[in-house]
Amino acid sequence: MSRLFLDFAIRAFLAGGAVGVAAPVVGCFLVQRRLSLVGDAVGHLAFAGVAIGIAAGLAPLGGALVIAVAGAVALEFLRAKGRLAGDLSLALIFYAGLAVGLVVLSSSGGLNASAIGFLFGSIFTITWLDVAAIAVLCVFVVVIVALFYKELVAVALDEETARASGLPVDLLNVLLVVLTALLVVAGMRVVGLLLIASLLVIPVAAGSRLAHSFLGSLVLAVAAGLVATVGGLVAALVQGEISPGGTIVIAAVAVFGVAMVAGRRAARRHARGVAA
Amino acid sequence: MRTVTAELVDVRFGYGAQPILTDVDLTLQEGEFTVLAGANGSGKSTLLKLMVGLLRADAGTVRVLGGSPADPEVRRHIGYAPQGLRMATSLPVSVSEVVAAGLTPSKGLFHRMGRKDWTKVNEAIDAVGLGNLSAECLFELSGGQQQRAILARALVADPTLLLLDEPTTGIDQRLRPALAEELRRRADAGATVVAVSHDPDDFHKVSDRILIIVDGRIEQITHEEFHTHLEMAP
Repeated sequence: MSRLFLDFAIRAFLAGGAVGVAAPVVGCFLVQRRLSLVGDAVGHLAFAGVAIGIAAGLAPLGGALVIAVAGAVALEFLRAKGRLAGDLSLALIFYAGLAVGLVVLSSSGGLNASAIGFLFGSIFTITWLDVAAIAVLCVFVVVIVALFYKELVAVALDEETARASGLPVDLLNVLLVVLTALLVVAGMRVVGLLLIASLLVIPVAAGSRLAHSFLGSLVLAVAAGLVATVGGLVAALVQGEISPGGTIVIAAVAVFGVAMVAGRRAARRHARGVAA
Repeated sequence: MRTVTAELVDVRFGYGAQPILTDVDLTLQEGEFTVLAGANGSGKSTLLKLMVGLLRADAGTVRVLGGSPADPEVRRHIGYAPQGLRMATSLPVSVSEVVAAGLTPSKGLFHRMGRKDWTKVNEAIDAVGLGNLSAECLFELSGGQQQRAILARALVADPTLLLLDEPTTGIDQRLRPALAEELRRRADAGATVVAVSHDPDDFHKVSDRILIIVDGRIEQITHEEFHTHLEMAP
């Protein structure tokens, strides 16, 4: 248990907590708009960015940031033009991003445990500088969502009517995918680029089982994200050998399971209350 | 002389090679309540979408509130209720959140919803008879209740032009007169109301005129002719 209070654990709790809170904030809008897989696509593209960054002798974070943001904007452009219909296009992006990353890393001699850590997370090895970078990205994402909350909600509820009412829907859509890209980069050391999308989606699914409103879903999703990251980290620290990225996602799935059961009971109670 | 709210001159529109509207001329004035009728696929929804800027005419001129419907500033003064529920349903959304979304464009970026805004939201919800359901999830309500929430969203910002696509669909017959009266009240206060309807009796007592789209053109008809048209429709 004493491992929970060591320096590396505290850094992990801070970084994981920040991502656990910020990911569902963006995830609510993605899920509502049926864009859950965009987080996955951006994650795979970001791996190519990590690889290019390492091969070029730059910080992996910088490469991931540039490629993830550029890729996210390109994805949104293709989606808006109707050229990204169906899951086939997204699947192509997943495989291409991963493959480019592997080719660049192996050809530059950078395919090692550190690089693989970006795929599955390496939260126990992060530095205070990493924690600061993750915190800045997460705070920035949450602040921007708070500033544009009512506009993002209006578009998430009904894009056509939002457009008809004069809202800058295309710009807001680009904003959402850019925030997703920033979040993916923030989370790549926490649960890894292959699993970060799970934190965008699973807590939101859990929150939506218990709420009657979008804001209620968002608040509960943030709570679920925080519980999942802290719970997953505690499990990994106590056990000592298992991957924290995996335990965080498993904890998120467990939180979803609890929310599903509690949600059914709450729905029955609510139905009785409305009928009374 | 009343102010012209919208003016369409020689407007033509088609989906691909299929013409829907041909040489449409239409003038809407402030305080006027127009019922728009026509068979399914005749172009009623298309006409509303042209006026709200969701579609662009192939030919002719569409002027709304003195400007182009493509101008976001113009659109902010239009209350638009599309046909049926177009909403994403992945997450629960409360009735008050749906209606509040109708205020968002008029609030402007970076302005948060204040107490006065929520009062307006509640008034719009009350106006459509959903006052006791404002905190409920929209998707757990009946089709008629959902339709009333969509109508409240179109009303909440007190728009100058109301474009309502089949606003009474799914709504209980006994509730329709009150909604029609609410729309008449808006028109009397200066708003221009256009309501698409298949039911000649929905707005009979409150509307100023009935227009029908036949073969891509607009004609004015009487209430009796609306009934006759329905009986002859395939």
